[in-house]
Amino acid sequence: MLTLSLSTLRDRKQLFAGALVAIALGVALVQSSLHVLHSVSDPAIPARLSRAERDDMRENYVGAAVTMGLQAPLVVFLAILVVGSTCSFAVAQRRRDLALLRVLGAGRGQTKRLLATESLLLGVAGALLGAPLGVAMTWVQTRLLEHVGFVPAGFEPVYWHWGSVLAASAAGAGIALLGSWSAARRAARIRPLESLRETGAAARVMTRGRWCVGVVCLALSVVLVVGAQSADPIGAITIAMTLSIVGAVALSALSPLVVPLAARLFGMVFRRSPLGALAEANIRDGARRTASVAAPLITLVSLVLGLSGALGVLARSIGVEQERLTRGDIVVASANGEQAARLAGVPGVADVSSQLTVPVPVTAEVRKDGTRAARPHTFEDRVVAVDAAAYARARTLAPKSGSLADLHGDTVAVGPALPAEGFSAPKVGDTVTVAVAGTERKLRVVAVLPETLDIGDRFLLPREILPAGVLAAAASESIVTVAPGVPVAEVEERIRAAGIGGTATVAEWADRRAEAQQDGNDKIFAVLLGLAGVYALVGVVNALVIATAERRAEFAVARLSGLERPQVVRMAVVEACAVAAIGLGLGSVVAAAGMAGMAKSTAAVTGTAIVVVPWGTLAATVLGAFAVTVTAAVVTARAATRERPAALAAART
Amino acid sequence: MRYGAAGSAAVRTGGPVLEMRRAVRGYGTGDARVTALDGVDLSLDAGSWTAVMGPSGSGKSTLLHCAAGLDTLDSGQAVLLGEDLSGADDKRLTRLRRGTVGFVFQNFNLVASLTAEQNVALPLRLAGREVRREDARRALAAVGLADRARHRPREMSGGQQQRVAIARAMVTQPKVLFADEPTGALDSTSARTVLGLLRNMADSTGQTIVMVTHDPSAAAAADAVVFLADGRVIDRMEQPSAHRVADRLASLEV
Repeated sequence: MLTLSLSTLRDRKQLFAGALVAIALGVALVQSSLHVLHSVSDPAIPARLSRAERDDMRENYVGAAVTMGLQAPLVVFLAILVVGSTCSFAVAQRRRDLALLRVLGAGRGQTKRLLATESLLLGVAGALLGAPLGVAMTWVQTRLLEHVGFVPAGFEPVYWHWGSVLAASAAGAGIALLGSWSAARRAARIRPLESLRETGAAARVMTRGRWCVGVVCLALSVVLVVGAQSADPIGAITIAMTLSIVGAVALSALSPLVVPLAARLFGMVFRRSPLGALAEANIRDGARRTASVAAPLITLVSLVLGLSGALGVLARSIGVEQERLTRGDIVVASANGEQAARLAGVPGVADVSSQLTVPVPVTAEVRKDGTRAARPHTFEDRVVAVDAAAYARARTLAPKSGSLADLHGDTVAVGPALPAEGFSAPKVGDTVTVAVAGTERKLRVVAVLPETLDIGDRFLLPREILPAGVLAAAASESIVTVAPGVPVAEVEERIRAAGIGGTATVAEWADRRAEAQQDGNDKIFAVLLGLAGVYALVGVVNALVIATAERRAEFAVARLSGLERPQVVRMAVVEACAVAAIGLGLGSVVAAAGMAGMAKSTAAVTGTAIVVVPWGTLAATVLGAFAVTVTAAVVTARAATRERPAALAAART
Repeated sequence: MRYGAAGSAAVRTGGPVLEMRRAVRGYGTGDARVTALDGVDLSLDAGSWTAVMGPSGSGKSTLLHCAAGLDTLDSGQAVLLGEDLSGADDKRLTRLRRGTVGFVFQNFNLVASLTAEQNVALPLRLAGREVRREDARRALAAVGLADRARHRPREMSGGQQQRVAIARAMVTQPKVLFADEPTGALDSTSARTVLGLLRNMADSTGQTIVMVTHDPSAAAAADAVVFLADGRVIDRMEQPSAHRVADRLASLEV
């Protein structure tokens, strides 16, 4: 049996090379993600840095760990999808071989064992190849994190951690085995007679398993879309991300149902050309093949569009929310409190609310991420001094409990940041400690602000408890209301002329907040989908190469019937375009469904349905998908038509 | 080499090796329904070489598949060596393929990645039997290809590939050899060699052979010819000659 496995390996190079590449890359990617996650979760922070620098670095590491914590399961999912679909496709392509073995006396168990042995061999080989590749991939991922600023320059990850290596290898081999297991069970039901038929494609495309997965995931997707409409925006965005995976699985499984429709559309476009008609027939006839190539593409497109759309909505929502929460005309950024204090004197200014970022550490008893015991934690950043009355006039965010009117004397208000960062917020009546100019003071919590989409401030202190020198030196952001009848632009001009600081209208300022968020989101997107996207693309090419290489005899027959070699290649290109179109179409459907959920949810919260179509990403995805599939089709079709057709058509395939 | 040395007493005594009674087999549904076998009654004796002939679509191949347990009848009976195939489960059919029947196909169906010797040994391996190199070598020698043991199918001519396929079919010493257009893809010289091999097997060891063919000269090499038209047996000819077979066939196709 082993000789047979080995000799089949030799004979079907592309098939097995494709599966091997999928497994090895999957193992390498999973392994490197685990290594990087491991490294950023437990980083060494140099003691020589200042406290603020250390905090900054720690915060970045936490960001990296959270992002990698999302990326690792995503990568595992993609590995399951790509390896699973490649392995089961590889088995499906060999129906005739397996049927012949059945004619020659192989029992069902033997067929199953043969395939299991093969995929185990492949899995082990893939794991062995993948482990060293994972070291290189760890380096790539670290440089990516360094590039986007999650880790400091020169960060050295753990390159070899036995636990991670073994986990990734076992996962790779296990997935390969599982991927071919269902295919092997199906193969065991292959009737010997199928080896005698003209084509081996007698297999039913929509198997019971496929129906099951497709329908269950589709139902789950519908639940998610409906659920997203009544969730808060953050929830809706999380749901949209989940949907891009579940929906992709659903539509990948059900895609053979769409293939005939897509084939007909293509047939209508290319009605005049006999090549088009042939391509249409091939697409329809090879629904299994078409679906196998389209599956990784559907997933890739839905992930790319779904994630970038969701992150885009998050950024845009923050802008919209901030604009809605702010009552005023101009936002002025001043280098210090002294400059800000001059705002009130500018002609045409009716009201000023300044928020001074003060370097006053606040120590509060808080619980982090649901741990039971509250511990004192010192917050050094985003502590803001305000005039309570002015603040309440300029910001419409109403406290969840307490009242900002009480923010006088030794009091404090808890900002929106704490719950957003996973801390339990102190309650009204609790006390926190601040260190002002070397002396400690106890402050009573009088108000707790609700969470916002933007992280926001941590603590608001009444300005009168702080020494004038601290206030004068603090960086300031002021919301200015212009007197009725005075043009806003004129006042802006006067503020700038007076050297008070940079100005922006509230709308511009809110847009900038959104842009800043989008910049951060782009980094997260790059880390999440950078390598994972490349891997999915490899899956697409892989499936295409296997599919085309297995069609040598079919191409040979087409040439014997009068097609020239370039025509065969063109036919393969038309088919590849159809596959790309199916992948793009179905992937976009998933992304659009996620967007619909977010639109409803953001409309409920911000009053505006926020829909972000990531046009740039969309264009890049469309062009990329066509470029990759067409290139792969040309290269493999040329390779598959290299031999003389007469020799090939006669050979048993 | 004596093929079928283990042939059972039933085969030796010349009793019926295959019996089909009112065998019906159709494909498709509705308007696309094609009845390939429409009540076939047939009995073939052991130790005989029977050719099955008929126009295209007369049900020849279906008859072969149903007789060999590769396909199942919709109704009626196919009894092979006393075993009713219609009720047989996969296990029994697998056992049947491992020892009782052998197959030769028009397009050879050799495993491209295996050498001639490995191809011949494959059925023994699949049956879990001890594989001795001499068994495969001897089977290859019997078809005149002892010197090609290490060659792969693509390094051999069509005639040679078909002879490897015959060696593979015979290595398990099957009681019945089923051949589906064994000379269909061969030039006339190679075809004569292959037919000569089959004739020799039938004469020297009384190998039972059921062969489907289009070719009157191939049919003429058999002991008897059964004619099929529209899924029914319509005639039978003993001691056929190519001329008489061709004439009979021509009258069917009009």
